Amino acid sequence: MSALLAKIVNPIVWRIPGHGARKLYGFSLAEHGSMLDLKAAARLTSSPERAAAYLRHMLDETRHAQMFALRSGELRVQAGLPSLGFPNADIENLFERLGEIRFLAFVHRGECRGRQQFETYRDWFARNGDNKTRAMFDAIVRDEVRHETYTRELLVELTGGEAEARRELAKAALWEAWRTWRRMGRFVAETLYFAVMVLVYGLLAPFVVVGAIARPAPKGWTTPPAEAEADARLAKP
Amino acid sequence: MSAVLGLSAYYHDSAAALVVDGEVVAAMQEERFSRRKNDASLPKQAALACLSHVGLKAQDLDRVVFYEDPFARLERVMLASLRTFPRSWRQFPGAMRAQLSSKIWVLDSIASMLGVERRKVVTASHHRSHAASAFFASPYERAAILTVDGVGEEVSTAIWQGDGASLRCLGAIEYPHSLGLLYAALTAYLGFEVNEGEYKVMGLAAFGDPCFEEEFAKLLKLRPDGGFELGLPYFAFHTDTDIAFSAKLEELLGPRRPHAKAWNLKTSREDQRYADIAASLQQATEEAMLALAREARRRTGCDDLCLAGGVALNCVANARLLKESGFTRVFVQPAAGDAGGALGAAMLGSIELDGARPRPMTTAALGLPLSNGAVRSLADRLGLDYACPADPLGAAAELISQDKVLALARGRFEWGPRALGQRSILAAPQSADMRERLNRVIKKREPFRPFAPAVLRDRADDWFSGHDNDMTPFMTTTAQVSERRAADLGAVTHVDGTARVQTVSAAGAPDFCQLLRELDARSGAPIALNTSLNGNGEPIVASEADAIGFFMSHPVDAMLLEDVLFTRR
Repeated sequence: MSALLAKIVNPIVWRIPGHGARKLYGFSLAEHGSMLDLKAAARLTSSPERAAAYLRHMLDETRHAQMFALRSGELRVQAGLPSLGFPNADIENLFERLGEIRFLAFVHRGECRGRQQFETYRDWFARNGDNKTRAMFDAIVRDEVRHETYTRELLVELTGGEAEARRELAKAALWEAWRTWRRMGRFVAETLYFAVMVLVYGLLAPFVVVGAIARPAPKGWTTPPAEAEADARLAKP
Repeated sequence: MSAVLGLSAYYHDSAAALVVDGEVVAAMQEERFSRRKNDASLPKQAALACLSHVGLKAQDLDRVVFYEDPFARLERVMLASLRTFPRSWRQFPGAMRAQLSSKIWVLDSIASMLGVERRKVVTASHHRSHAASAFFASPYERAAILTVDGVGEEVSTAIWQGDGASLRCLGAIEYPHSLGLLYAALTAYLGFEVNEGEYKVMGLAAFGDPCFEEEFAKLLKLRPDGGFELGLPYFAFHTDTDIAFSAKLEELLGPRRPHAKAWNLKTSREDQRYADIAASLQQATEEAMLALAREARRRTGCDDLCLAGGVALNCVANARLLKESGFTRVFVQPAAGDAGGALGAAMLGSIELDGARPRPMTTAALGLPLSNGAVRSLADRLGLDYACPADPLGAAAELISQDKVLALARGRFEWGPRALGQRSILAAPQSADMRERLNRVIKKREPFRPFAPAVLRDRADDWFSGHDNDMTPFMTTTAQVSERRAADLGAVTHVDGTARVQTVSAAGAPDFCQLLRELDARSGAPIALNTSLNGNGEPIVASEADAIGFFMSHPVDAMLLEDVLFTRR
């Protein structure tokens, strides 16, 4: 599905000036987020073997994040755009929230989706003669294949069989759908919240004068009353 | 017995610190666990690590102290919105959401996060926590204290007097007048990340000439009583969410520098202008800090000064304060920024319970230790070759003396933003080429960023002047490199002839001290270039896995991880 979508939108996405830089920056953020989750997984898993596997995977994700950020920066400079900043993703604590089996299923699905998408991009860049970006996607796809394989193997090992692993993958797909739904909900709520709070802000207008009289903006040295109370408390322990 | 946990969170650098029976037994920043630089989330992992390190459970805690009063902060946010009406309309929704969605519930969140009774969770004010972290960690019985940062609840700057176990606020300057926010706004103007790029501005300043003095007089007005005011029309941090300075600042100083553009101080006149602006900012900040310190001395009559707050991490200004403010001694603990608030909060809680002052801080190694077993187990599973030399510190010194770059992770990790020999990258300090190699290949950072030297305390006189003070063990000030030695310290001497020196003694850092002795025996210099063990944009390494991950992804020549030595083939 993601590969099909990528195929359809490729000609548009990569040709809009600066959009390619932003897209690669987005990938860099995603890889950085994945790196943080794998780092946590390496720390939290009960098996030293799996900790080593997650650590290896984490190092790959770190490298991918750097490769995407670097190429994004080059495309950004070519397009004359300002920097997008250092990619610093949010951590979702997926290992803690989902448990190791569901986490592995989630990672496996992500790797699979990423690999399909990156293969499409690799082919597109090959056709359009951008060998530098093609080579980058090519190198990353190879890692993604390895990640896909090991996460699948671990999943089968931990669930006890192929059928159970498939069931976990299906559950992970459902969880992802639920997460997407909630994200959309959050976006709508945030937009509404912003509009409502701007209205509330407008209603503050009459209090501006009251505030200026009752609590004028201080300048120079003051003595906060709360600190005087706390001084006394500390002086008599 | 009393056990008090202090916490800071929700702005930047969240942290936890644990004081048991008046002793600081553990203090850690959440970023070391979450691996997100300057992580501001509730420090659950850091708190649990502090407790587990000393074998306590959250239920054993007598008190948990949060470093800020969330309701006082909410009041300030609302008042500031009224005072800047209607210009703050864009800021208001976001500011209120941040306060109402999580910040005002922080005490309940902490109680449920730790599983402790809600009544045990209390607050201390932001600047009081800072002041406590500075004074009670210091060796001084009586001292003036200056707390200077962006903003706490409503205060941005305060003068305190510490005496034994008591702390008294003598005066405060309130938001939006703030040296921290001035520095942050100019950091953003110069194209750096706020709360992260301030060190870079300080390093850049040495390359410039403070020729924008007149312009900065409009941005920062010093008052005769030691206070100051900002020229608010030049700033936007009080009205806007996305930008800290206004168009008027760009009219005054010229266009801002694009974010993350490569620096070229050798040939670009434009970049030289930005360096001049950084130098002017640094000078203005130092003058303001000096005026504050002199006022603190006048009000308290004390001979000693303690500093805390983000601005106290400005080690160049700290050196000037020691030299010119009239104080005999100055102390700055290593986590002087917001993380340090957790330490101060814990100390305040401890005093309220025990009635006695906590013992001074003698080491910054307050994090989690490493285990040789875990290192070997992980290395085996990753198929890494390693050796376990009989004399690991000697082996490490040998590599450094051969001009190799060595990553060192040994003992408990450091408290605060400085690597002090527990999680460090070490190299020979002699050649300027080493600085280039480290900056460009390993740390991947701006070419003008200086590296710091670590030197044996009892040998420092041979190499530096102005180093014999209470700040150098924690690397919170600078010293002058002896003129006759400057050529021998090319990798660690900044362009202005100074160095952010760390003096190392057996009492504070025994292993690191031994390593420097070994290095002295081999190279004739008891000095190593010392920089933090982290990649660009990453927090400093904490665990065995972090360290091995670093070694596998960065081109250092070797790594000593506890007693296990990895060398690159």
